[in-house]
Amino acid sequence: MAKKDEKIEYVKNGKRLDGRKVDEIRPLKMKVGVLPNADGSAYLEWGQNKVLVGVHGPKEALPKHKQNPYKGLVRFTYRMATFSVPDRKNPRPGRRESEISKVSGEALEKSIFLERFPNCAIDIYVEIFDSNAGSRAAGITAASVALADAGIPMKDLVCAVGVGKAGGEIILDLNKDEEDAPDAVDIPIAIMPRTEEIVLLQMDGPITKPEWNKAVKLGIQGCNQVYEAQKVALREKFAKVEKGK
Amino acid sequence: MENKKEEMAMPKDAVPVAKETKAEAKPMPEEGRAEHKEKKIVIPGDLIAEGRKKLGQHVFIENGKIYSDALGITYPNSGTAYVVPLSGIYLPQRDDLIVGIVERETIKGYMVDINSIYSCYLSADKCRDRLEKGSIVSAKIDSVNEVNEADLFDVRVFYGGTIIRVVPAKVPRMIGKNGSMLAVLKEGTGSSLLIGRNGWIWSKGGDQKKLAEAINLIESEAHLDNLTVKVEAFLKGKKVNE
Repeated sequence: MAKKDEKIEYVKNGKRLDGRKVDEIRPLKMKVGVLPNADGSAYLEWGQNKVLVGVHGPKEALPKHKQNPYKGLVRFTYRMATFSVPDRKNPRPGRRESEISKVSGEALEKSIFLERFPNCAIDIYVEIFDSNAGSRAAGITAASVALADAGIPMKDLVCAVGVGKAGGEIILDLNKDEEDAPDAVDIPIAIMPRTEEIVLLQMDGPITKPEWNKAVKLGIQGCNQVYEAQKVALREKFAKVEKGK
Repeated sequence: MENKKEEMAMPKDAVPVAKETKAEAKPMPEEGRAEHKEKKIVIPGDLIAEGRKKLGQHVFIENGKIYSDALGITYPNSGTAYVVPLSGIYLPQRDDLIVGIVERETIKGYMVDINSIYSCYLSADKCRDRLEKGSIVSAKIDSVNEVNEADLFDVRVFYGGTIIRVVPAKVPRMIGKNGSMLAVLKEGTGSSLLIGRNGWIWSKGGDQKKLAEAINLIESEAHLDNLTVKVEAFLKGKKVNE
């Protein structure tokens, strides 16, 4: 980590601290169908992030007063394990987790045909085992794959990535060191790749309008890279079909 | 008598799934097969067809184009645009034959678990026998309302036997085209079988261990070709080639 008065060059000769280019995401690996007792599940490793997602449902939404007779409910639970960060994290769900659960659930809601499941709920449990910036993007990406694995009808997958600014440069998929830069701006973005409809967009820190435009463009480009990885993971499960053809 | 019942129930049940089991044909020469059975794995949001086509299950239209809404297999050369999903819960449909377990007794009937979102209410007037918690019944779906709650009719009670659970999306492969796979399973294991559309299979007698293994085989390879031949070979004790 940088000391207060020490100046770090976050991008040097087009390369970042960890050797990536500015528009390169960290290595991404996904596996589908890892939990036998869940209807759908996925395990994701994205750089140092490790995420396990389980999807249950659709099932009857209880308590009954939460039911909506016109459409189903998405209940997204984001949880960080106590050992997922350098200092022990209090297991009690805090403000940050409630917020991430809310916005991530709403992002995924957009892609699901919820009107087919009136009075029902779909439970998504996202467990972060190891976190190194961009864990909400990792959670959404893995959850979308797990939903597809559960056979829940969807318009499209949802893919997410973090984009932002560190050391005055707009970069894709920030890691923790870059996120801790003095001028850091973090913009998690999630899209449905077929229509490029944005379903999640957050920002902290100051940024100029041209930088913003550049960041969103880079974010969408990054999401498409994530989408390719999602497709590979889902197809891998049934790779035998193509072999047998 | 039970056998007779199954025979009666089977052909009717096989009709709605016949379309999905198109791939389940007798072995054909390699060249002839390719054009009929060209299949493609699709994920949600994948384009299936651009022009006008008859719509089947698990597809939706957006801006005049047809897209898949599930992870599954589609047949691009087919006249109908549809996707056979590889997973998913059971949603009751009219005339489905299902296997259920009595969950509890109410004042004037029973609640039957049918492996769907809701349990079904079964009026005591509709069944001759007195049921209790844990009784296994087979029934047909009479009607389904807009929130996927179902009514049952044609209830039969089963005594003894076990229930094997499979993924509901794979039930058409368990039955096969015109019940071919079901016939192979019955013959190969000597068990009495009733395959519910909801993914529960009631079985009694015969070689239960072999049956469970055969069903496992079907479930894990439901997306592959020539499954009936493979299962037949497996039940006869021949080595299954990968």
